[in-house]
Amino acid sequence: MAEIAREIREGFLCPVCMKDLGTVTQLQSHFEEAHSSTEDKAVGHQIKELFDKAKRTILGKKENNYSFASTQGSLGGAYGVAKSSDGLRYSIDYWEPQEIGQTRSRTDEFRALRGSRVDRYVVETNKLLIRMDKLIAPDSPPHSDSSKRKAFEKTVVMWMPDADLKHCPTCGRTFSITKRRHHCRLCGSIMCDKCSHFLTYEYARKLTNPAFQFDGDSGFLKRSGSSSSLNSMFSSDGDPQIRCCLECRKLLERREQLMDQRNKKPSIVLLYEKMKECTDECERLLETYLPMSESLSAGESTYSLQEAQIIRAKLVRLYEVIDQLSKKIVGLGLNAEELPTIKQMAIQKSIRTFATGFMHDNMIGLQSLPSEEQYQKLQEARKAEIQKRIAMERAATIEAQEKEKREREKVKNRDLLPDKGLRQNSSDEQTERTNSQVHRGWKPVENSVRVTNEDPMLQQMEIIRSYIKQAKQANKWDEVKMLEENLRDLQREYASQQRQTWS
Amino acid sequence: MNVILAIKQYISKMIEESGPGMKVLLMDKETTSIVSVVYAQSEILQKEVYLFERIDAGGRETMKHLKCICFLRPTRENVQLLAEELRMPKYGLYYIYFSNVISKQDVKVLAEADDQEVVREVQEFFGDYIAVNPQLFTLNITGCYQGLNWSQNALKRTVQGLTSVLLSLKKCPMIRYQNSSEMARQLAENVRQTISKDAALFEFRKTDVPPVLLILDRRDDAVTPLLNQWTYQAMVHELLGIYNNRINLSNVPGVSKDLQEVVLSAEHDEFYANNMYLNFGEIGTNIKELMEDFQSKSQSHAKVESISDMKAFIENYPQFKKMSGTVSKHVTVVGELSRLVGKQNLLEVSEAEQELACQDDHSASLQKIKSLLSNDKVTQLDMLRLVMLYALRYESHSNNDVSGLVETLKRKGISDKHRTMVSAILEFGGRKARGSDLFGSQDPVAFTKKLFKGLKGVENVYTQHKPLLHSILDQLIKGKLKEAAYPYLGTSQLKDRPQEIIVFYIGGTTYEESLSVLQLVKSSPGVRIILGGTSVHNLKSFLEEISTAHQGHTPSQISSRR
Repeated sequence: MAEIAREIREGFLCPVCMKDLGTVTQLQSHFEEAHSSTEDKAVGHQIKELFDKAKRTILGKKENNYSFASTQGSLGGAYGVAKSSDGLRYSIDYWEPQEIGQTRSRTDEFRALRGSRVDRYVVETNKLLIRMDKLIAPDSPPHSDSSKRKAFEKTVVMWMPDADLKHCPTCGRTFSITKRRHHCRLCGSIMCDKCSHFLTYEYARKLTNPAFQFDGDSGFLKRSGSSSSLNSMFSSDGDPQIRCCLECRKLLERREQLMDQRNKKPSIVLLYEKMKECTDECERLLETYLPMSESLSAGESTYSLQEAQIIRAKLVRLYEVIDQLSKKIVGLGLNAEELPTIKQMAIQKSIRTFATGFMHDNMIGLQSLPSEEQYQKLQEARKAEIQKRIAMERAATIEAQEKEKREREKVKNRDLLPDKGLRQNSSDEQTERTNSQVHRGWKPVENSVRVTNEDPMLQQMEIIRSYIKQAKQANKWDEVKMLEENLRDLQREYASQQRQTWS
Repeated sequence: MNVILAIKQYISKMIEESGPGMKVLLMDKETTSIVSVVYAQSEILQKEVYLFERIDAGGRETMKHLKCICFLRPTRENVQLLAEELRMPKYGLYYIYFSNVISKQDVKVLAEADDQEVVREVQEFFGDYIAVNPQLFTLNITGCYQGLNWSQNALKRTVQGLTSVLLSLKKCPMIRYQNSSEMARQLAENVRQTISKDAALFEFRKTDVPPVLLILDRRDDAVTPLLNQWTYQAMVHELLGIYNNRINLSNVPGVSKDLQEVVLSAEHDEFYANNMYLNFGEIGTNIKELMEDFQSKSQSHAKVESISDMKAFIENYPQFKKMSGTVSKHVTVVGELSRLVGKQNLLEVSEAEQELACQDDHSASLQKIKSLLSNDKVTQLDMLRLVMLYALRYESHSNNDVSGLVETLKRKGISDKHRTMVSAILEFGGRKARGSDLFGSQDPVAFTKKLFKGLKGVENVYTQHKPLLHSILDQLIKGKLKEAAYPYLGTSQLKDRPQEIIVFYIGGTTYEESLSVLQLVKSSPGVRIILGGTSVHNLKSFLEEISTAHQGHTPSQISSRR
């Protein structure tokens, strides 16, 4: 993942012609001379922003230089894109980022309207459940003692007086001596024997106690044939039952459905949840793994190789699990007698597509880690690269300073006022920049630098010395080594310069 | 302001709000288009949406382990279907999103149906239009003219669509409309009423310069939809037809089965994104490059010898496969386009069209048309197109020979129904119907400009034409659009130059205009423009539009023949 699509050039690049100008002032004057008339103001504005940002970063106030360098790189890149799109093309980021459009929630209004209606069901159902719980309580009077039982049942719910109804409210038949009135034990209403429903204790226990296991198909028994009302209190195997009306039965069944939905999960859901857990875990791990592998394959020593290897192994294992689970989901029900429906299969397939898509997006990016030897080689290569870059930077800096010096001399010739402050500043900035490119994550503070000499080379050496000191304190031996080399180079350069001036 | 992004954000928010778990997306016919244009199915799949259903489709199965995200237009049928659904819920939980304002009464109907408490959310997300490009939307209405007035259904839908665009972009604009069009005024009035009725919805952070909504009528520029096109997107639409990003290629000779219908979506197809606004010649070279690139890649794939080759192959394979799909798709489409260009003599036809639209040489044009009408390669539709253009252009020319040309059309075997189009277009967009100077013959500045252009010679004879919209928007951006011709609705007026413009064409817009908008945006920094229309026309759909407009107006002529 360390591959970067295009080369990021660093330095004081002119965003229009990509020329490296070496110093801020040079760049500014170059831009004013060469590009002020051409191009639109937008670029000028960008430049200005860039300068502000650059100043801020160079003075080490806020962001570190790393972000500075990358902004500059991306600015050049962005411009390149804009340039190539002179012919119109569809751009995905059409204009600026955009907040999501207006939305309005009607949920509260909906809930309020629904609430008044649904409350009735809930209250009714709860009442039934409480009564049922009392009826099946072990200390309630047994069915064998029918008069006592009846009295008890009447205390649970008020029975509707017999005289109130002459017809069965469900089937409409007239009550008589042969067609007797019966009471629902749960709500106390009246119906005929034919219209009565019976629920088993088992079922009642299941409804009142969620932990209770119930295996029967339906908890309700329909009144069978002509057996007497007393017998009907018991099912065939002698278990007692509760007589109730159709309304109560509906409410109870509704309640049962809801409970089932909450408690039972089909196997596809169980498998799917497991799979999702794995993908979530993967995403978490990837977040830590990706920067690790990137930095390791660049030869940096921020993370330990072993640690990365452990995480990688974990990820690979998770991918295997995801793969297996999703395969299992696709195969669900294929061996059963009843094949799953088309839609069901479509879902299962989609889940598999999701899983392969997920693995695809993430596993292909799961770059292999370098081996121990490779890693060492990489580290060395990086060091060499950094040193090479420093050397180049320095050459550029010196060249730029020379140029600036010459130009300033020209200016001086015209206008004999010396301009020390500016000159010092610019060279200070220069050193700071050159150096801190070495340190990512470690930043020297400029406090100990005392400006004793006007020569920028000497100043730079002074600064580097102070950095070396700081780096030593911070135990960054890599950096110390590099800085020392840096310093030696500078000294050599300075010496040769001195000779030139004297000769 | 990006309409595609606006819709995408709505949809991903919906999916996010329902949390983790398996999901089904329940839509109606229109919202299916709205969603499918901006999102590929595979993209939504990665957000755990595993099933797509239509609410009006029978035989949906009960699957309580799915969460249901409903994205529906707030129509009466949808509310009824949804209420039935909630009484017997098929899915575990429901998250309901309407694409526009839903009435209190309808909320009540739904709430009363939901006695099982399966609904978790009821919200309004204002994605009530089809986002074609980031700067272009359509409502897919054909036949908004009934006679030469609004069809009431179309007006209602247009007001809903247009206000939802405003809401999805969070804009509360000043409204300007084309004064010569009663329909434009009516629409403007209706939009304003909707805004004031739901004022709280339209309260947004104020910008320095308020956005402008400009409402135009196709009748003011009936020329643009009559022209052949040469940029990729516009050309594909003109010759093959794009409907919701889909192109039907089943009529292409020798096309393979999996290419009978292809999707051209700039969001998911890089080649298309880079080439949709380029002209046909450039696309030819680009597609050659694409082919070569592909061939070199497939050659490197051919030799898989070492393990590292293999690894590289596997890593690149999905990309490769995707590329091969893109290549075969575009090669087929471009191949078909160039076949049609040759077969139908389109270069010559188009040159004549452009001359008609942009130059002022009656006898030369007439000569050219006559010779093209006797050319067997030219299709009947193109013949009709030329005569219609001629009729519009030289409507008041003293020597005009419309009747003679119509007579030729008859001899060529062009049906009555089509021939009446010539008089229909004059009624639709003729001199009397227009409010502005379409051919630039009255305004001295425009006239001299034209003259200069004629002297300098044109860069490309096939793309000389600039739609009227271009100059209208140009004037609007510069703050020079005449108030008499395009008045403000209400008393307040814009003092500064507008920066955010939403322009809407009653009677449909075109891809040429969409490109024009993009060019304007590019040349005027800081200005953002969104273009919309009741539909996006090519010649065929435009003829339908005119025919319904004509039909209602003079019922005796056409309706009897249908």
